[in-house]
Amino acid sequence: MNSTEVKNNYLSVFSDWEKTALTKDPFWIRETREKALSYFEKSGFPSSKDEAWKYTDLDAFYKIPFALTGEGQTKAAVSAELKFLGFDTSKANLMVFVNGHLSKSLSSFEDSHGIKVRSLIESLSNGPLKRYFIEILPFENRPFVSLNYAYFTDGLFLHVPEGKQLEKPVHLVYLSDNSGKPTQSHLRNLILMEEGSRATVVEHYWGNNLNPYFTNVVTKVSLDKDASLDHTKIQQESELATHIGVLAARQKENSRLAARVFSFGGGLGRSEVETVLAEKRAEVALDGLTLSTGKQHLDIRTFVDHLSPACKSAQAFKAVADKSGTAVFDGQVLVRENAQKTDASQSNKNLELSKDAKIYSKPQLTIYADDVKCSHGSATGQLDEEAIFYFQSRGISREEARRTLVYAFAEEMVGKIQNDYVKGPVGLMVQRWMEEEIGKKS
Amino acid sequence: MLEIKNLQARVEDKEILRGVDLTVKAGEVHAIMGPNGSGKSTLAHVLAGREGYEITGGQVLFEGKDLLALKPEDRARAGIFLAFQYPVEIAGVNNTYFLKAALNAVRKSKGEEELDAMDFLELVKAKLKPLKMDESMLQRSVNEGFSGGEKKKNEVLQMAVLEPKLAILDETDSGLDIDALKVVADGVNALKRKDRGFLLVTHYQRLLDYIVPDYVHVLAQGRIVKSGGKELAKELEQKGYGWIPGAEKKEAAV
Ligand SMILES: Nc1ncnc2c1ncn2[C@@H]1O[C@H](COP(=O)(O)OP(=O)(O)OP(=O)(O)O)[C@@H](O)[C@H]1O
Ligand SMILES: [Mg+2]
Repeated sequence: MNSTEVKNNYLSVFSDWEKTALTKDPFWIRETREKALSYFEKSGFPSSKDEAWKYTDLDAFYKIPFALTGEGQTKAAVSAELKFLGFDTSKANLMVFVNGHLSKSLSSFEDSHGIKVRSLIESLSNGPLKRYFIEILPFENRPFVSLNYAYFTDGLFLHVPEGKQLEKPVHLVYLSDNSGKPTQSHLRNLILMEEGSRATVVEHYWGNNLNPYFTNVVTKVSLDKDASLDHTKIQQESELATHIGVLAARQKENSRLAARVFSFGGGLGRSEVETVLAEKRAEVALDGLTLSTGKQHLDIRTFVDHLSPACKSAQAFKAVADKSGTAVFDGQVLVRENAQKTDASQSNKNLELSKDAKIYSKPQLTIYADDVKCSHGSATGQLDEEAIFYFQSRGISREEARRTLVYAFAEEMVGKIQNDYVKGPVGLMVQRWMEEEIGKKS
Repeated sequence: MLEIKNLQARVEDKEILRGVDLTVKAGEVHAIMGPNGSGKSTLAHVLAGREGYEITGGQVLFEGKDLLALKPEDRARAGIFLAFQYPVEIAGVNNTYFLKAALNAVRKSKGEEELDAMDFLELVKAKLKPLKMDESMLQRSVNEGFSGGEKKKNEVLQMAVLEPKLAILDETDSGLDIDALKVVADGVNALKRKDRGFLLVTHYQRLLDYIVPDYVHVLAQGRIVKSGGKELAKELEQKGYGWIPGAEKKEAAV
């Protein structure tokens, strides 16, 4: 199929899908689904002429007939495998989604102290959510976001009331079933942090499926005054997967967002993170590590909108590309007229391990205020042959030398993780990647 | 233990080694002196297996085996150690980790058991002491931000830990203060053994007051143009290299 055929397919299956799959939708949801679909009808899929999609080739995605399925099943021994990854899930609110539907039997989570940790679709019947549902990330001109609005099935609803702190992190695991048919999931998460509240959330996309699948996710975050969210996304999809995800936040006065993206999996993976620093002294730290090998294409796109004065944003992204892997960093910072005393920094460092690996780096700062402190930098290099020889001259094999040097490069991003629940497991994933991709110990 | 026969090497179009002959027997200390750019570091690098040099002739035997056929790590495991003229800084790799990985790689290749963290730390601390190195050096990234002298001491520390059969020290004395020179020389002397050879590249007779060589060679324009005993170094100190046939300064080409 080509992009028009895939588009037409999404348009034609909608009414049947909606009838059978989602009888519990309140009316306003059905309305937004239809509105979103009509936007998608107008926009179609992004074209390579679209600046935002310049580096992302969707041709392989169009070729696969991803089916919209009902609740999926997984034979994966989820808890044992999470343990192998290093997660102590007894210390978390674990929510497992299969094909976009919450699996209650694999999950273990609860409300506590007025904090709601719930399935989004079950929470939506409550009217007040409507505002948040539509605000923050409009779907106009964003084809995959429109598709998500039209077809989303479920996700997390987290609501932390004023002054409350969520003790256990929320660990969201998203799986796709492995029944042989290419499947797709459209997931939606909504995180509402009231004044002075705190929480930790881990979004974990994970699979080693033998059939292709497509994950399309939108996470929205609202941070009130003094609220703080620590968010980690681990994109560890199967190599056959297409993953497209957006995290969009809106931050009020003196709120803090730390959002990290670890992109290890997926054949085509694209993660966007964007935040609007809407009130003064809001702070955001965006970090990420991409490890791309084989024929993987992994994109990171960030957008920080400095709307108000005295806000701070710091971005640090690193990527390693080996074999024919591609890694993209496209980061934008916009400092508007009113955003005096902005402190914005952006850094992107990349390591190219083979001649067929490709790295694209495009850090951009657009500044309309005059009293600001802004910096950005980008560097792409290869491993230092002199350093490799130094290892070898001490008896350490070339492979181990390379592995150690790549790990040393990547490890900095693991070091930035503040919460222990994810730090260990992510460190382990990085280490295992080095062992599997850059040769065995000799 | 080491036999270099008519060794020739070049980088791109530039001939650097033009027929080096040198034999080092177990237990001997050989000093190599010679003008800047004469090929001393190149010789050291070629012996250690650094890429980028094309060997255009000659051979090198180490304990009777063809050294040039081995990968650099296999040469190190076979007992060759090069102390670099310019030790490499490796950001993000802990010095202890590096040393331990090196020692265990060498031990493993000999069929010896790998050392665990505790045993290794004990061993390395014992080696640090005579070098008057601070233990905090172990926690830092390899050579990163080390002073010139600290880097050289770190090379000697690595040598002491790895206990090679043949140690090639490329200007390990350069950049050391007077006390550090003594400490490093003592470190080398402590490693002297009947079954261990040394090749010292140096510009200064002073080092040879501390580490007394059995032979002194002059390498000029890619060849060994003169060899002698330790008194040759003293003579060079006084007269320079100009008087030796083959080491005269070439007239600038017009
Ligand atoms: N990779 C290279 N590319 C080009 N020329 C090189 C390269 N390596 C060495 N040379 C040249 O080969 C010659 C010998 O260099 P080498 O470093 O071996 O000299 P040296 O005797 O160690 O000098 P010094 O006493 O200054 O340390 C020099 O002219 C140097 O510029
Ligand atoms: Mg030299």
